[in-house]
Amino acid sequence: MARTTTRNSSDEGEARIGSGARVHGRISGDGDLTVEGRVEGDIVLRGQLTVTDGGSVTAETVEAEEITVSGVLEGELRVQGPVRALAGSRVRGNVHGGNLALEEGAEFAGQVDFDFELPAELESAATGRPVSAQAAPGRR
Amino acid sequence: MASTIIGAGITIEGEITTDDEVVVQGTIRGKLTAKDAVTVESGAVVEADIVGGPLAVAGSVTGNIHSSDRVDLQPGARVVGNVKATRVTIADGAQFKGNVDMDV
Repeated sequence: MARTTTRNSSDEGEARIGSGARVHGRISGDGDLTVEGRVEGDIVLRGQLTVTDGGSVTAETVEAEEITVSGVLEGELRVQGPVRALAGSRVRGNVHGGNLALEEGAEFAGQVDFDFELPAELESAATGRPVSAQAAPGRR
Repeated sequence: MASTIIGAGITIEGEITTDDEVVVQGTIRGKLTAKDAVTVESGAVVEADIVGGPLAVAGSVTGNIHSSDRVDLQPGARVVGNVKATRVTIADGAQFKGNVDMDV
């Protein structure tokens, strides 16, 4: 089978869900993942997640170091690095940690919660919770 | 190309359905259905039933394998399960436990 040998299996953790593929379940592990097809299920990745144009991810939770979206992404996003929503993308969900870059032409619906320290007087306004509930603001 | 690659560090628990080719270097638990070729590379772990086109196995498969074409168990392969295909080869150095049904 020539197919076995023509692939370079050397680079650790390269993964791709092709455009004709559908995954129903949980994807986890180390390495980068590119989704060109459809994923219905959570993704927990130590690496970059890319959802290409035409690709879609529907999850409760998506964890990755970085996320770049040209397609559709739905779920709670937990990232260390940036979430990049490129033109034409549709992102629905809350973003925790990291940061978010929305390109013109991207659709986004959700709450954004970056990891940085707010002055105490702003804390209540940002979270909508009374200041008293923030009496001991822990480092997140 | 639109093929699907499950990289070495990646685990998928669930069902994978695809019209095109699949290369497995990582781990799959669940079910794998492909219309085209499936390659389970050395080091890959598949705990799933596999349905596909031409199937080449050099890694570990626990589950039943059903191919519309052929199944090749290559040296180093470790397969526990039944194999159903019109053509089957088992290389010297492949480990296999199960039934073979050559669809005659």
